[in-house]
Amino acid sequence: MIPYSFRLAAQSILHEKWINFLSILTIAACLLITAFVAVFVYNVDALTKKLPEKFSMMLYLKDNLPGAGIENILNTLRGDDAVETVKYIPKDEALKELKAELKDATYVLEGLDENPLQNSIEIKLKRSVLGPEAVKKLSTKVKAIEGVAEVEYGEKFLSAIYSIKMGIRALGIIFIAIMSAGVIFVCYSTVKILFYRKNEEIETYKLIGATKGFIRAPFVIEGAAIGFCGGLLSLIGLLSLHYILFLELSLSIPLFKTIIFPSQISPLLPLTGLLLGMTGAVIAIGRIRY
Amino acid sequence: MIHLFNISKHYENQTALRDVTFSVEKGEMVFITGPSGSGKTTLLRLIYLAERPDEGTISVAEWELGKMKESSIPLLRRNIGFIFQDFRLLNNKNVFENVALALRIRGVDEKELKIRVFDALKEVNLRHKSDSYPLALSGGEQQRVVIARAIVSDPTIVLADEPTGNVDSDTAAGIIRTFKEINARGSTILVATHNRDLFRGTGRRVLKLDTGNLVGQEAG
Repeated sequence: MIPYSFRLAAQSILHEKWINFLSILTIAACLLITAFVAVFVYNVDALTKKLPEKFSMMLYLKDNLPGAGIENILNTLRGDDAVETVKYIPKDEALKELKAELKDATYVLEGLDENPLQNSIEIKLKRSVLGPEAVKKLSTKVKAIEGVAEVEYGEKFLSAIYSIKMGIRALGIIFIAIMSAGVIFVCYSTVKILFYRKNEEIETYKLIGATKGFIRAPFVIEGAAIGFCGGLLSLIGLLSLHYILFLELSLSIPLFKTIIFPSQISPLLPLTGLLLGMTGAVIAIGRIRY
Repeated sequence: MIHLFNISKHYENQTALRDVTFSVEKGEMVFITGPSGSGKTTLLRLIYLAERPDEGTISVAEWELGKMKESSIPLLRRNIGFIFQDFRLLNNKNVFENVALALRIRGVDEKELKIRVFDALKEVNLRHKSDSYPLALSGGEQQRVVIARAIVSDPTIVLADEPTGNVDSDTAAGIIRTFKEINARGSTILVATHNRDLFRGTGRRVLKLDTGNLVGQEAG
């Protein structure tokens, strides 16, 4: 039964080549756009994942804290699961760094009798705790440690980055869902047309005792094949554009070099096309009644 | 083999069958006759569950059709060979494929399928036309392709709706001869026809329908 269904599907694809060709092109365009959005979302995600390397939390210590007290704080922080690295910065060193940063504007520090800065600890966080809520929770926790005067981190900046990331991800998912629905609709329409065209033939199948599976199989295979071909075509388009943009244009526009192309998207495109095509076909055939 | 009890079927503004009761025993060959619109086609359609009766019960072989689930209908139909009045041949497939279809839906393997299709075509004297397409055949040849498709699976029951409606008298005689041969091999045959010449002298049972009523039976 299966090989015969494949044969029927192949015959139908060849017989109705124009309608199938147009459907394949439409699906390819939809999947190509979807792939672009997926690559964009992936890159935004990758970019925000690099944040821990740059993000740090500063803990300012109370004045006159004895060495044992500082050591105690450092040990407490090192023992925290959320903390990646801990660095103690004595206030003299901090002043030296400040002067180095101010360069020609060191006059602002003139007239000060004593170092106005505090001893501080810089901590870098693990990737897993980089959400605004988790960081806020951690800051409250470390602020409660005996000897810590103040905790500072880019709360608003972190929230903004996180919101942008989540927003882009949500938009990406919505867009991909819409495009997927579009692909399903194209396959649905194509198979529906073919199904109507073969109405008489299907009636004959039913009357001579064909099962629903036997009737459905060639249409589902055809839908899957159209989806698969659309996916394959979009993959060829994506790889071509990848070659042109990332490999050719990046020589003159270095920005393109920073874009990451997730290689796992390659097998996913034809597979997604196949699954969406099958779904469209199954919906198009609907319930068969005897 | 086929039992109809108090069968009635109504359409919007007319009654197709009224209180029809009869039985066809296993291995019998029975004719149903009557003028156009007498309910012959409706009767056959009820037997292969293309429609359901409004009243009464039908049983075919071991199946009580009123209790039959939709998913079991293909099973019933695989036991029946149909000869449709309008042929129902697939014009985009050649004669071989049209006949083979009845076996393909049963999942018969390719080697056995070829043997059985050519045997069936030989039986209706159309082996030489296996590569032809239906539209290139005469009405009589198309009729014989339909018969080959109906008998290729060795069905227990053969239902024929006006099987000689499009053929000359010689071809009609040939078709009846084929039916007798199939019947001799054990198939139960029910033939609906308005052509009285078809059953005259056959000695088979003839059921008479008129405006949906079974008005009598005689020997042909």
